[in-house]
Amino acid sequence: MQIATMYFKDRAQVKLNDELLQYNLKKSKGKFVGKRAEAIRELDDFEGTRTAAREIRQRVLDNLDTYLEIFEQNATARGATVLWAETPEEANRHVLDIAAKHQLKKAIKSKSMVSEESALDHAIEQAGLKVVETDLGEYILQINDYEPPSHIIAPALHKSKEEVSALFAKVHGTPPKTGIQELCGEARAVLREHYLTGDLGISGANFLIAETGSVMLVTNEGNATLCTTLPKVHVVITGIEKIVPTLEEASTLLRLLTRSATGQSITNYVDILTGIKGAGEYHGAEHMYFILVDSGRTRVLASEVREALRCIRCGACLNHCPVYQNIGGHSYGWVYPGPIGSVITPMFIGQEMAVDLPNASTLCGACGVVCPVRIPLPELLRKHREAQVKEDLRPWVERLGLKGWTWLALHPGLYGLATRIGVRLMKMMGGYEGRIHKLPLVGGWSDGRDLPAPTGKTFRELYAAKRRSA
Amino acid sequence: MSAPARPPERGAKQSPERAQPANRARDNILGRVRQALGKTGPDPTAREAALAHIATHPIGPRPALPADLRQRFLENAAKLESSVDQLARREEIPRAVARYLTGIGVPPRASGWPEFADLPWGEAGVEVAIRPTQGQDPVGLTSVFCAIAETGTVVVLAGPEAPTGTLLLPDTHIAVVDGSRIVASMEDAFVLIRKERGSLPRAVNMVSGPSRTGDIEQTIVLGAHGPFRVHLLIVG
Amino acid sequence: MKVGLLVTCLVDMMRPSIGFAAIKLLESAGCEVVVPATQTCCGQPGYNSGDRASSKLLAAKLVAEFEACDFLVAPSGSCSGMVKTHYPELFADDAAMLARVTALAARTYELTDFLLNVAKIQAVPGRFEGTVTYHDSCSGLREMGVKAQPRELLAKVPGLKLAEMTEAESCCGFGGTFSIKFGEISARMSDNKCQNIEDTHADAVVLGDLGCMLNIEGRLRRRGNETTKVLHVAQVLAGDTD
Repeated sequence: MQIATMYFKDRAQVKLNDELLQYNLKKSKGKFVGKRAEAIRELDDFEGTRTAAREIRQRVLDNLDTYLEIFEQNATARGATVLWAETPEEANRHVLDIAAKHQLKKAIKSKSMVSEESALDHAIEQAGLKVVETDLGEYILQINDYEPPSHIIAPALHKSKEEVSALFAKVHGTPPKTGIQELCGEARAVLREHYLTGDLGISGANFLIAETGSVMLVTNEGNATLCTTLPKVHVVITGIEKIVPTLEEASTLLRLLTRSATGQSITNYVDILTGIKGAGEYHGAEHMYFILVDSGRTRVLASEVREALRCIRCGACLNHCPVYQNIGGHSYGWVYPGPIGSVITPMFIGQEMAVDLPNASTLCGACGVVCPVRIPLPELLRKHREAQVKEDLRPWVERLGLKGWTWLALHPGLYGLATRIGVRLMKMMGGYEGRIHKLPLVGGWSDGRDLPAPTGKTFRELYAAKRRSA
Repeated sequence: MSAPARPPERGAKQSPERAQPANRARDNILGRVRQALGKTGPDPTAREAALAHIATHPIGPRPALPADLRQRFLENAAKLESSVDQLARREEIPRAVARYLTGIGVPPRASGWPEFADLPWGEAGVEVAIRPTQGQDPVGLTSVFCAIAETGTVVVLAGPEAPTGTLLLPDTHIAVVDGSRIVASMEDAFVLIRKERGSLPRAVNMVSGPSRTGDIEQTIVLGAHGPFRVHLLIVG
Repeated sequence: MKVGLLVTCLVDMMRPSIGFAAIKLLESAGCEVVVPATQTCCGQPGYNSGDRASSKLLAAKLVAEFEACDFLVAPSGSCSGMVKTHYPELFADDAAMLARVTALAARTYELTDFLLNVAKIQAVPGRFEGTVTYHDSCSGLREMGVKAQPRELLAKVPGLKLAEMTEAESCCGFGGTFSIKFGEISARMSDNKCQNIEDTHADAVVLGDLGCMLNIEGRLRRRGNETTKVLHVAQVLAGDTD
């Protein structure tokens, strides 16, 4: 996907002033947050389940090479082919090679974030083949000239039904529909035709199961089920970190995934696909491929933010992030928005390309508290900030300011004097109202709010005076 | 795969290794993973440990369920908008299907799995074609491997006599559930599959109510791509 | 018991009365309060901005100033959280310092938590005629577990009624240097908070951290709200609300 992370501030500002988006974000916030809170109450031991989930994911990461080999062996034993891709381009090339080998013409695709990383759809189209996104949200974005998704699990979250209606009318050449039900019906009819004619099914993976060499897919629409049932070839494209040792452990993760994502106890469809179709089977893929993609993941594994690889892409950290709630996913400028995005994006595209992302957080901690696999997201954002200081990526004013403040704070005598003078100046600036409307150097503060002025003397001088008079 | 890993060479594009790019990528990725984990090569001890771990099939925290799994299953299935009918005997299936389809005004034409061929469909006035469907049939009739009380889910295993399309393509999916095969949780379903089938079939499809989407303004609409209705007949 | 009061730099400069309110409360709970004279900043700005080296220098200074006390108490969730949850991480690779830091961290409390659960204060000196709403500051809530404590203490204040706002646990948008670097996003977050506060029609919003206090008051006034008071919980409990 095209990188726009360097324009974070500008993009965020546009989104802050986009009234429709603001309305949609507010509406969705309440639903996601409220439904999750309800759903986790169904688990008697939610915190214990989170701890178990963290251990499951961490065990895999600590032995990732081993589990990858076990997975590969078991998938191969069932007739699947396991391919490896170091880069997004290599992943795309694998898909095109597969299409050429089996003479495939039309890909039907269920949601895959990894394929967004590699802009797979564009690669397929450039090769002269057809590709259809089948997740309704993704489909809406695809027919709108590949508008980027704004949310990991609800990609078209930012669009209103009126926008969808106009889009459908334009692209399908049908009379505009007004109801959401009718819009979904129209999409159903269009997509059904594609399901029946697609010969290449492409999916992501919610989990890869090492013990069986399977992929587990989780959807409500059932589109992944269709994409993996009807076409003669099924290609799974996913990151190397998605492995889970056993089906039982996947069950634990699933309890948390659906609840954290949409507040559901389970999604309508959970599919576990293992190998190619057997003798006498009518439906199912004759050829199955796994494309295991690195493209930055081993870099994460070797870094201080390696815990981010535990992520199961539920989106809870986005839904609960007060920054995301106000600016939406597009502002972040790459595939993964929100707190998890701000942690992994710099590792995938380079720290210097995404300087704003780790800083665009108040470190309020809401993301870390909801993460079902206990990724310490605020700590990892802080690790990036440390890396930026080390790599000289912070502006000199900021560095000088911090160094100056630290030096002063290490010298209490001077500190006392400087603050005495400082608070008197600020009191004067505050005038009779007692607040400062415009601040030099830190206009970011005073553009949006006043600074209540200090009362004129510091605690340390008042306290010293009190002690003297006592 | 047993060939020793060679370091990637500069200008590899022209080298004979181009013939096996997949293996090169594999070796490089596994090499980087090992480097990140502080390992120098394949680790047989870790492999033994991982296989031993897998063999234990560890079960994590699960919500406590009441002794009456059937009751819980019924409650949860209803929450997910599956409709349910309870029958005493298998022979009652055709009439129950006819009753249901008449009730919702759907023509009594189904594609069904072979195991239902012996039932007296004609008497009930239901036409059941024993063959896979390509979507032309308004109703699909399948059995299920087992049902899960914790979530109100039915577990469908694919096979030569169990084509997956039957539960996906028709607008209405009718699933016959053996009342004695309602297990507590998903973990129990996997244990049962291992016990009775040994290995996983090509597809395990777990269905919890009709296909739905919330992608437009987070408004739930049923029948996104698959069935609009899932009707469960619990037998016995 | 000897309680060292970490005044915090923002209280020192911006609202000294909160420091005195804290002393009054601690003394009324029977504590001997000491205020190390050389204390300045806990190092949080550097820590959150990635300047670990600066942060460590200030952390070491603070530990030396407070380790002789039985307890360290701060009228701030974020400064007490810095000592309790982040100092040990800062010195993870320095065994000698880590031992000292861990020992101090174990005795570090946010003010309301300390008053209720350690000093077990029975009655508070304050009185307040009116309705307040309580904003949960992020670090206090998520790092120090401060949620019920201020509410239980406020319930002891004669005349005071509590009206909860929606999303009391949502960040107010302060976030230290975030409020300067991302002023627009920060202001929008503050605006949401202000709206939730105003919707309760409370006379005052009460909270436990100076950063949030300045941010919320600054935004309320910029919005043209001249009436809703913004008070630190120590001020209300001590009866010093003017």
